[in-house]
Amino acid sequence: MRGSVVRGLILKDWRLQRAQIICSLCGGAFALALVQWGGETPIVVGGVWFFVALILVGHTLPLLGIINERKKQHLAFLMSLPVSYIQYTTAKLVANVVLFLIPWLTLVSAAVMLIEIRGVVPPGAIPVVLILALLPFVGFSLITGAVLVGETEGWGLAANVFCSSTYGLVWYFLTRIPGLMAHATGPSPVWNSTALIILAGECALITLLLGLTYFLQSRKRDFV
Amino acid sequence: MSDSAIELSGVGKKYRFFSLDNIHLKLPEGQIMGLIGPNGAGKSTTIRILMGLVHQDTGHVRVLGFRMPAEQVAAKWDIGFVSEDMRLYESMTLGWHMNFIQSIYPNWDPAYAQLLLKRFGVRAEQKIKGLSHGQRVKAMLLLVLARKPKLLVLDEPTTGLDPVARHEILRELTNVMADDGRSVLFSSHNTQDVEQISDQITFIDRGRIIDSMDKEMYLDRWRRLRLEAPLGIELPALPGIVDVRQEGRLAIATANAFVPDLANAYERAGVRVQRIESMTLEEIFVANVEHSREEVGA
Repeated sequence: MRGSVVRGLILKDWRLQRAQIICSLCGGAFALALVQWGGETPIVVGGVWFFVALILVGHTLPLLGIINERKKQHLAFLMSLPVSYIQYTTAKLVANVVLFLIPWLTLVSAAVMLIEIRGVVPPGAIPVVLILALLPFVGFSLITGAVLVGETEGWGLAANVFCSSTYGLVWYFLTRIPGLMAHATGPSPVWNSTALIILAGECALITLLLGLTYFLQSRKRDFV
Repeated sequence: MSDSAIELSGVGKKYRFFSLDNIHLKLPEGQIMGLIGPNGAGKSTTIRILMGLVHQDTGHVRVLGFRMPAEQVAAKWDIGFVSEDMRLYESMTLGWHMNFIQSIYPNWDPAYAQLLLKRFGVRAEQKIKGLSHGQRVKAMLLLVLARKPKLLVLDEPTTGLDPVARHEILRELTNVMADDGRSVLFSSHNTQDVEQISDQITFIDRGRIIDSMDKEMYLDRWRRLRLEAPLGIELPALPGIVDVRQEGRLAIATANAFVPDLANAYERAGVRVQRIESMTLEEIFVANVEHSREEVGA
């Protein structure tokens, strides 16, 4: 019986990257613990570290898992296996998205639950936290696409710099949207149209970036 | 089903500064073919095309009866590919790689893998980063051989190896060929390695196949004739002579289609044939490349 090569490649990525996932989970958990300390400084520092943990895992996963595979000449070894390039792309996209989602879902769910249960941060902030937490996911999708399609470290670094410098700006503009921030300090989350449109826009952008990556990869003719 | 392990016909691929032109190549099942060419001749590009890693612009490629690159997944189940520019994961052990390959290939033979570990003097628990270059090549060969492929494609596997490691690898390849059904394409610029194990030789230079035939036929057909032409006697231009170098009365003629009659023809023209020498594969390769370049340049 022939094994599934795509599944084998996904499991291989999990074995290679799990230490990094565990590190990001520990970092994010520490940041959330700091927020629970209460007081302005721990909340601000813990909040920043929380997003930094999400950004770090989102940026390093594609750089280490995709670019390194090409740079360190593992790709020729993988492509000698019974797999087509589009199957390799599928495995890479699935593995990276799943590996990113493990810390992202865990940390974001934990953050939302702690806000709901402990109330150190007002529950009205939940939509804003979710919107801000999706930004590293958008960045991850852009960097993943850049390194898979661009095939060079240069493209990865360019996407990395672009995302890193854009987060601050996007945060600035998001926090200036009245419909979003008006309820941020409220006792319960308000899912108004502004919040929902922004969340839907982020999800659409993630889907578009990953879909476009898959499409562009499927049109390539030379792989190594 | 074709009886050729590899069949390339009219294959071409254009890059900005290099092109592969009209490649025709046929490797019958159970044969070992050495693909010899200088650096940059197109050996790796040809191999990447037949592995489906690079799409040819023109021509057709069949490997184990499968059309490439369209049917590369089906074909690669039975191809073992090792390339000089291929690397394993440095932070992982050889055992981890063996488990990874075993999880994919049903033909993986654990007993043979253990035997190869012993023969190659490598240990499964060793991390790849702790292996020497020779041990890394052996590790890659082990991963390929233990899954019992019908076709082995080896792109310069002996490059950079010390003589002992080269000898071990060539010996193992010879053992592998005891299985009659297995075919091997072995590329190298080291003619000694190729000469030791190949049945067929193909020379490639500047993106073109310049010659391809049975190894024994090469060795039979190529000869160097040491000649002495008395003053006033010009060396005749004879068919089958691809190169003549003359200094004073002495000359060396290289024949690529030697027959005893060639020597007689020189004698009839008044030229004394001092000696007829066999040529090594390396000498044949160099003469072949030079002759081909002169022809293209003419």
